[in-house]
Amino acid sequence: MTPPAAWTVVFYKAADGAVPVDDFLRGCPVKIRARLMAILDAVAEAPPPQFSGGGQWEAMHGDMGGYFEVRTQGPKREQFRLFCLLENAEPAELRRRGLAEPSIAVVAGMRKPWMTVFTRTDYLRVRAMGDDYLGTMPRRIAT
Amino acid sequence: MATSYYERRRAEEMEDPEFRAEYERARSEIAQVDAIMRQLDTLREASGYSKAELARLIGRNPSTVRRLFTAEVNPELKTVAALASALGARLEIVASPSTPAESRRRSARSVA
Repeated sequence: MTPPAAWTVVFYKAADGAVPVDDFLRGCPVKIRARLMAILDAVAEAPPPQFSGGGQWEAMHGDMGGYFEVRTQGPKREQFRLFCLLENAEPAELRRRGLAEPSIAVVAGMRKPWMTVFTRTDYLRVRAMGDDYLGTMPRRIAT
Repeated sequence: MATSYYERRRAEEMEDPEFRAEYERARSEIAQVDAIMRQLDTLREASGYSKAELARLIGRNPSTVRRLFTAEVNPELKTVAALASALGARLEIVASPSTPAESRRRSARSVA
């Protein structure tokens, strides 16, 4: 079976022009930024349903069902996450969404100390950005 | 040529040697894990087992194994080893001459 062609990575852009995930990445230590982008690239090059991302790409559940997260760990076991949506559809539908090809849409990033959890409010904030992204046609992405 | 925003962003980051070194190291690690999981899936297909059958062989929930092969969960080493064993294979670490550990051993030997 021929593996699926590589996908692209896009960053969600808010209505005010901000690119939340870009702001998040720029605030991360350089090595964390490198790891997060390495995982994104690995998944984009070998997209679902193949195994990809070295075990650092996982489907989310519960309130965050439909999202995928990129996970890595920094100094003092600080946890870094990127929250992503998958954009895969027929070419005509992708064009309608303003996407040239199937894509990993990175909506937001968050970090937290070891052994702590993100709050429901944290996740609601991510979901609000994701809802804004999915509710916009064509998609609003950084260009 | 970098065309998309993301590609330009990555190209900009790659100018930093620290970023590039960590990126390449991470890609290498990810590729190794991915290769193991894809090899196991290829072995599974060649053996004619469905994911559910393979799950039963190792005493796991079928959804656990299905999710494992589609990268929806992080593979645990013991599960990976159990899958390999059930498929008549085994995990093996092969030393690469270019690894830092080998370089260190060579340096230590030359000093001794």
